[in-house]
Amino acid sequence: MEPLRQLAKDKLAGKKVYAVMSAKGGVGKSVISSLLALTMGGTTLIDLDIHTMAIPKLFGLEGKLHEVSKNGIEPFEIKTTKIVSLSGIVKDNYVILPGGNQSSIMESLIAYSHIDTNTVIFDLPPGLGDEILVLERITDFTPIVVTTPSKISKKVVDYLMRYLRERGKEPKILVNLAYMDCDGKVVKPFGEYEGFGLPIDPSIEEYIGRIQDYEGAVKEKLKEFIQSL
Amino acid sequence: MHEWSVADAVIRTVIDWADGKKIKVKKVVLGVPSFSFLDVEILKEAFDMMKKDSVLDEAELEVKFKDPKFKCKNCGKEFSLNEVKDQIDSVKSEFGEEYPMHFMPALAPSFIKCPYCGSHDIILESQDMTIDEIQVEENGTVKTVSQG
Ligand SMILES: [Zn+2]
Repeated sequence: MEPLRQLAKDKLAGKKVYAVMSAKGGVGKSVISSLLALTMGGTTLIDLDIHTMAIPKLFGLEGKLHEVSKNGIEPFEIKTTKIVSLSGIVKDNYVILPGGNQSSIMESLIAYSHIDTNTVIFDLPPGLGDEILVLERITDFTPIVVTTPSKISKKVVDYLMRYLRERGKEPKILVNLAYMDCDGKVVKPFGEYEGFGLPIDPSIEEYIGRIQDYEGAVKEKLKEFIQSL
Repeated sequence: MHEWSVADAVIRTVIDWADGKKIKVKKVVLGVPSFSFLDVEILKEAFDMMKKDSVLDEAELEVKFKDPKFKCKNCGKEFSLNEVKDQIDSVKSEFGEEYPMHFMPALAPSFIKCPYCGSHDIILESQDMTIDEIQVEENGTVKTVSQG
C-alpha cells in the first residue's frame, strides 16, 4: 500500500484541477500558468516542471524555502495565489532523478502540500512524461495545452492532443504569441491557428521576477479564456 | 512537523482500505526509508491524536526503518547508507531538520554521490514509504494482513 498516493488523491478530491501542458518547450507555458493562477485568484499553483522550476523564477521566489507546519508544506503566498515548488525544498540545488524517482517526487510534493484552495493549477514539464501519468492516477484534471502558431509547434501538439482525447479528455488549446493588436488591427505574424489566441506583449519580459505585477494585454485576454472554462 | 503529514497519509490509507467493514485495526506496520530520519516519537504522537473516532481507534503504529541499498550505474559498485553518511549529514546541516530527503527520499541521487567514482547516477531500493502490514480484529479473531 502506498500511503502517499492516497494522501495525494485526498488532497485534490472535490477540487477543480487544471493541468497546463505543452508538447514543446519554450512556448511560454510557465508564464501562462502563472498568469492563469493570478487571474483566476484563490488558486494553488503547483510547479511540476521540476527540471526548469520556472515558476519560482517568474515570481521572484528563487532560493526561498517552504515552511513546514502540521498541515504540511506551506505554499508561498502571493496575492491570493499559493505557490508550491520543488525549488522550495531543494533551494538552488540541481535535481537529478533517475527513472521512477520522478513520479515519486511529484506524488510526495502533492501529498505533503497544504492545499486549501478550491482550484489547483499544475504547471507540467513539456512533452508526455511521468507527470501526466501521475496526475491521471490521482485526479480528474482538465488539460490546458499551450502552443504557439509556428508550424513545428502545431505538429508536435498533435500527438499530445491525440493522447489526451484517447484518455477521454477534452483539452483546451491556448495559443501563445498568436497575434498583435496594432491600433485595433489584428496582425497574425505566424499565420492562422486553431484554439484560443493570446496576444504578443513584449512588455511581459520586464515582469520576469515579478509576474504578479503584470496587468497587460495577455492577462486581459486570459480573463475571457477563463470564462470559457 | 512533516511527521503529521505522514501520520495523516497512513490513517487515510488504512481507513480507505478498511472501507467501512466491521473490523478493528490493532496494529499498522509502516516501512520508511531510514535516511528520511522521521522522528518516531512525533509520528506516533500525531498518529494517536489523529486516529480517534475511526476504525484505527485502538491501533498501534509500528515503524520499521528500511536501510536503502545504493548502486552506482556508472561504476557498478554497491554501497550502504553508512558509506554516504557524511554526505547526508552535510545536507542536513545545510537545510536543517526539514532537509529535502526527509520529505522525499527519492531526491537522494540529487544530493548523494557514489563514494567510489563521484557519479550521481545512482539507483536505490526501498525509497518509498509503504504500509507493510495491518493487524485487524474481525469477529473476535485477530489476523495479520500483509501488504505487498
Ligand atoms: Zn560509482
